[in-house]
Amino acid sequence: MSLPKPAMRGLLAKRLRFHLPIAFGLSLIAAAAFKFGVTEPRKKAYADFYKHYDSMKEFSAMKEAGIFESVRPTGK
Amino acid sequence: MAHPTQLGFQDAASPVMEELLHFHDHALMIVFLISTLVLYIIIAMVSTKLTNKYILDSQEIEIVWTILPAVILVLIALPSLRILYLMDEINDPHLTIKAMGHQWYWSYEYTDYENLGFDSYMVPTQDLAPGQFRLLETDHRMVVPMESPVRILVSAEDVLHSWAVPSLGVKMDAVPGRLNQTAFIASRPGVFYGQCSEICGANHSFMPIVVEAVPLEHFENWSSLMLEDA
Repeated sequence: MSLPKPAMRGLLAKRLRFHLPIAFGLSLIAAAAFKFGVTEPRKKAYADFYKHYDSMKEFSAMKEAGIFESVRPTGK
Repeated sequence: MAHPTQLGFQDAASPVMEELLHFHDHALMIVFLISTLVLYIIIAMVSTKLTNKYILDSQEIEIVWTILPAVILVLIALPSLRILYLMDEINDPHLTIKAMGHQWYWSYEYTDYENLGFDSYMVPTQDLAPGQFRLLETDHRMVVPMESPVRILVSAEDVLHSWAVPSLGVKMDAVPGRLNQTAFIASRPGVFYGQCSEICGANHSFMPIVVEAVPLEHFENWSSLMLEDA
């Protein structure tokens, strides 16, 4: 019985043909993961923070906490 | 201010800093894309004994790895230039403050209406009150009205300094004999810290900047009080 002749050429090219699409795919997945895991949530967090932000209410809370030097707490 | 184990930027307190944050996220996404690609290829190539010594050239791959980086660079450049021009817009400031760098403290001059000026020295560690931040607190803070465009004219009296407040997205070199202009809007009330950002001698690390953003009415009360005390 005779064995089939093994592939003896183009072995590195075959390896590249297998791995390069995976490399590109993984890098696109990494970019998408960062975009939807970090970038978009951060944009949304800032938008949500300022959507209903009451600067005077926050200022009053900070003032009563005593963090400012230009304006002291009123003790209310 | 920064906190221990912090990796990213401080929370943005001005619209420009928010834009810078988002641009940094965009650029970092591209960095991860390229780094993942390169790392995978490196591992795939070092983990085999297969070689090919007979490829001399390939027009196709040369075109791909010229065009693709050019496209990526354009994708980085366009938002970058957008922010650059955004930062340079005429913004009609409500207030102009001069920040002068000295060895080793900052002085602030509010000369729009009256002549208000004061020095801002770091509070030494042994004089800190409980809850205050080491190497960041100053005896007099630069108070500004919140949600108002403020122009800062930065210069120095002796050597190079740099006026920087990371959460406001501001950094401007203080050069003796030169007036540099920058501007910001504090989006919310609060206290924002920065440090001198150009080596200026022995106490370069000990001349911090503290900006206090308060409503206009309180800013006016503060400036009247400061003028009375002067």
